[in-house]
Amino acid sequence: MSYIPARTAATFALLLALLASSQAHAEKPLDYNRDVRPILSENCFYCHGPDPEHRQADLRLDDEEAAKDYAIVPGDIEGSEFFQRLIADADTRMPPVESGKKLTPQQIATLKRWIEEGAQFQQHWAYVPPQSTEVPAVKNTDWAKNDIDLYLLARMEEEGLQPAPPADKVTLIRRVTFDLTGLPPTAEEVADFVQDNSPDSFEKVVDRLLASDRYGERMAAYWLDMVRFADTVGYHGDQDHNISPYRDYVLDAFNANMPFDQFTREQIAGDLLPDATIDQKIASGYNRLLQTTHEGGLQEKEYLAIYAADRVRNVSQVWMGATVGCAQCHTHKYDPYTIEDFYCLAAFFADVNEAEHFKVGTNALPTKRPPEIKVHSQRERAQLTSLKAKLAEVADDDAATTERLQKQIKALNDAARLTMVTESITPREMRVLPRGNWQDDSGPVVQPAIPTFMGTINTAGDRATRLDLANWLVDAKSGSGALTSRVFVNRLWYLLYGVGLSASLGDFGGQGEPPVHPELLDSLAIDFYEHDWDVKRMIKRLVMTAAYQQASDESETIRQRDPYNRLYTHQSRHRLPAEMIRDNALAVSGLLNLTYGGPSVKPYQPEGYFRHLNFPQRKYHADKKDQQWRRAVYVHWQRQFLHPSLKAFDAPSREECTVERPESNTPVAALVLLNDPTYIEAARVFAARVLTEAESTDEARLNKAYLLALSREPDSYEREILTKILNENRELYQQDPKAASQLVGIGLKPTESNLDAAELAAWTHVSRVIFNLDEFITRN
Amino acid sequence: MSEFHPMQLNRRTFLSQTGIGLGSAALGSLLAREGLGASSSTNGVPGQPGLPNLTQRVKRVIFLCMSGGPSHLETFDNKPVLSKMNGQAFPESYTAGQPIAQLQGQALKCLGSISKFQKYGANGQEISDYLPWHAKMADDICIVRSMVTEQINHDPAHTFMNTGTAISGRPSMGAWVNYGIGCETDELPGFVVLSSVGGRNPQPIASRQWASGFLPSRYQGVEFSSTGDPVNYVRNPAGVNVRQQRNLVDAISNLNRHRQQANGDPEIASRIAAYEMAFRMQMSIPELTDVSDEPQHILDMYGAKPGDGSFASNCLLARRLAERGVRFIHLYHRGWDHHGGLKKYMDVCTGLTDKPTYALLTDLKQRGMLDDTLIVWGGEFGRTPMSQSGKGDIGRDHHIKGFSMWLAGGGVKGGTTYGATDDLGYNAVENVVHVRDLHATMLYLLGIDPEHFSVKFQGLDMRLTGVKPARVVHDIIA
Repeated sequence: MSYIPARTAATFALLLALLASSQAHAEKPLDYNRDVRPILSENCFYCHGPDPEHRQADLRLDDEEAAKDYAIVPGDIEGSEFFQRLIADADTRMPPVESGKKLTPQQIATLKRWIEEGAQFQQHWAYVPPQSTEVPAVKNTDWAKNDIDLYLLARMEEEGLQPAPPADKVTLIRRVTFDLTGLPPTAEEVADFVQDNSPDSFEKVVDRLLASDRYGERMAAYWLDMVRFADTVGYHGDQDHNISPYRDYVLDAFNANMPFDQFTREQIAGDLLPDATIDQKIASGYNRLLQTTHEGGLQEKEYLAIYAADRVRNVSQVWMGATVGCAQCHTHKYDPYTIEDFYCLAAFFADVNEAEHFKVGTNALPTKRPPEIKVHSQRERAQLTSLKAKLAEVADDDAATTERLQKQIKALNDAARLTMVTESITPREMRVLPRGNWQDDSGPVVQPAIPTFMGTINTAGDRATRLDLANWLVDAKSGSGALTSRVFVNRLWYLLYGVGLSASLGDFGGQGEPPVHPELLDSLAIDFYEHDWDVKRMIKRLVMTAAYQQASDESETIRQRDPYNRLYTHQSRHRLPAEMIRDNALAVSGLLNLTYGGPSVKPYQPEGYFRHLNFPQRKYHADKKDQQWRRAVYVHWQRQFLHPSLKAFDAPSREECTVERPESNTPVAALVLLNDPTYIEAARVFAARVLTEAESTDEARLNKAYLLALSREPDSYEREILTKILNENRELYQQDPKAASQLVGIGLKPTESNLDAAELAAWTHVSRVIFNLDEFITRN
Repeated sequence: MSEFHPMQLNRRTFLSQTGIGLGSAALGSLLAREGLGASSSTNGVPGQPGLPNLTQRVKRVIFLCMSGGPSHLETFDNKPVLSKMNGQAFPESYTAGQPIAQLQGQALKCLGSISKFQKYGANGQEISDYLPWHAKMADDICIVRSMVTEQINHDPAHTFMNTGTAISGRPSMGAWVNYGIGCETDELPGFVVLSSVGGRNPQPIASRQWASGFLPSRYQGVEFSSTGDPVNYVRNPAGVNVRQQRNLVDAISNLNRHRQQANGDPEIASRIAAYEMAFRMQMSIPELTDVSDEPQHILDMYGAKPGDGSFASNCLLARRLAERGVRFIHLYHRGWDHHGGLKKYMDVCTGLTDKPTYALLTDLKQRGMLDDTLIVWGGEFGRTPMSQSGKGDIGRDHHIKGFSMWLAGGGVKGGTTYGATDDLGYNAVENVVHVRDLHATMLYLLGIDPEHFSVKFQGLDMRLTGVKPARVVHDIIA
């Protein structure tokens, strides 16, 4: 038996059930990609698929011609050996018992019907160019706000379902502010929106959020997961390496709304662009983000092979939604990627200059990972230019201003940072490594090439370059740009709707889930590349729908019928990502420091947490000043020991590409919110804010606290519970001033001296309750 | 998606194990608030339906990782031929084209064992003089002298030993086991990691080694520390007592329940359960790590001084964790990377680990727990039969083609030696046991059919034992 836990699998099964049960669909012929291929892929392709080495009985079922040679006779169930084996006696039945696979009666029925209907094959959906379709007609003509809604509604109507009512305005502004900026709206922003009755009130909010620097910070957090950005090398000594300017580049790119095709080119091949700018060189740091090592006794050849494989995994995951990594040792079991394809893709990166670090890497912090260049971020450079211009205009006798400006210029100059970049050298020889074995030199030498089944790549020279690869990845007409577009748009959809149109964000191959709304995904993909890969425009389109703005409440019927909300009959509700949980607490307390960009920061961390690191041994020094309260996207990312607060909320180590974080709900995470000094300090500062800003009755203060933290007032039950906590603790701290001063003394932020310590401590408890509420950490 | 088993407070256990002087009034109100019947106890976290699917020979694993890679030639693999050739050139026929670590490009010379071996126990198990306490348990342990692995540097070799692959991001064995068959406690994590101080400048060890990979986060190993808080954030903030914390958690749960009545979100029930368990962990972990209730003769048997962070103390903690239903207990002792100073550091390492290991096995045995515990001892690889000379005294380099580990406990044939390396202790040549075979055997003993224990990830059926067929080593199973 096979234990399929994750939601993808469960979702998939439910989706299929949903499809199968649908009266409307029963009348249409089966769709190979949606109805048949997943069954074949899961149960048959492992032995009868693309991998020739493992193929049994010389039978291939993923290829139409081969399958119809004798095994499948269209329209003839009796004559189709394939089908007869599915229903044969146990000892000859397929799939064999040892495989652990078993077809359900429903699946057998589907395959039977498919053969009866003529056993039509289709090219795999992800590799077929997206098709424009007519926007479907709907019965309910009042609901849709744009085309996206029509696709969704048509399907709901087909299933006899209704969309949810619109979300209330408070919920809506909270949702969109978290989604687009990773922060909660302020009380004023909420009030303004609620009071704004103009028809474009929501659009104004969206435009404001997209124009805010906070947008880039939010998008960067997701992108950095995918490209596995971290502050340390990952292997062995896990020393710091120089890379923070790359993060600034990503922030700036999203904020400046750089077209996604350009964003792609600059990262994969910024160094190869004609007259590469500083920013393009910084961007080429993408090729250096992988885990590296200079562990004593390493064998260079082995690690060069490890690095090559790492890059293929990453580039194919990020841009192609493909698991090409599976072809490192053998031809892919389910998708048409061969082992040669794997090493041909790796060959694109054979020119990346990196081997020097095996020799010069040191156990210092940061270590050395040449080539590195010393840079200022885009904004720092702009600042410098403006300061120098000002300096030039200062009157000769104004020594004070001159000195001030010179000081600022010097400080900025001193703040230049090293960053790893890509430099191209003569490409090293790349061979196919049989079984992935780096010691086996018997494989053929390969040149850079795209997967064979996808055609050939254009190149001006003899040898295709990284730039050719980048261009191919975003060339929607003759490259794989349409696939890239589908992959990226699907991920934006996931960020805003909770689950992708195809739930398998990282696998658009045969084992992934076909999209629930293929026409919609195609239409969005086309729209994205036809509008210059404009990310902000796409995000705006996705949130300006009626579907996005629905309530997240679901009826019992819907919960039963479509528990994973694949038909988007309501919005989704999910726990905030790790970064937002931290930022939210800091934001509502007023502690949050919104400084933009720069080197990584170090929040409080349990003592001894780095005790297992060595070469060198590590002492963690938490930031002493207001760097302490920066946004989480800037937190030092130690691959081997990620900050435990972020980790507890599923932030990944960034050793590998992460396209979707799990969403766990564990006691370890509860302990963070209950006891981490970051949250205790934030609760105390929040309490002080409530005590200072609200009228001085308990009721007014509770109202204020709820308004600030949850954008609403408490009801009578909530007030009762919180009042009880308040009174209990008030009494206790009045009797025990020492305990009160201990509690309010937690954190660097000085205690508010004008406030009574017992009162502040008691309100800190009230704040702790609020900070631990499901509602506080849930995007609704 | 529920990520957490919605368990209820086990009131009786909570009361008997808090060990904290809650006033009777507080207790009374605690009970009243909970309003839970005695039947609500679950006593553990369930695994996957249908598992275990084989006879369960052991209930738990204690993995004693001798991190750095102990020399098989100074512990369990006696090679008289190698000793005779001491100082001579190492035959190239062995080493040509083989992976090699720090000895790359150097002249390779034989280094005979620096220790003597004697035979112990009913079957005459060969054990070196470095391990007098192991000698006393010769009849309990099954020595495997034919281990092989695929990674020659520490970091990837640990990753390979723990996850079955050197690619980062895959679940570790403790996570796999907890995912599969759950654990028998709902007050402690099912997978606990402890590492000890002492020995040579230790190799680093990454939290990747106890990660849950693509399995749900709740299966990841939780690291216990011998200094500071035993578990991150397990202590109340300063100025907050147990009763306040209890009331706080209750208020949170009440408000969450209230919220759930309004929006019906089933995830909230899991969150309430997670907070309950968090509070129970706050109560039970300090009690667990406080060994002041252990009698002196037990402390002496291990050689443990409470709070010293030693391997001895961790062995004692391992027993206490085992008693409380923790499924997978992983100890790291990180001093075994003896490139130089072999003599000196073998003394140090065996001095720190030999006796406590014996004590752990004996203590489990006297409590009747060895029968349902699997103990595994070994490093991420072994060491070369070639010498390495650097600054200090002679040592040995990393070696992956043949090394020794041992297993003991329920289901394992104690008093036996399995497999062999060649005359020079270089290649495992007889009954080779690959790391994936060790994984398969471990799963088998836990009642899990290794071949069909898989999870879908990136379209593939992922297994701890990997893609290639793994073999349950039935010959070492009683």
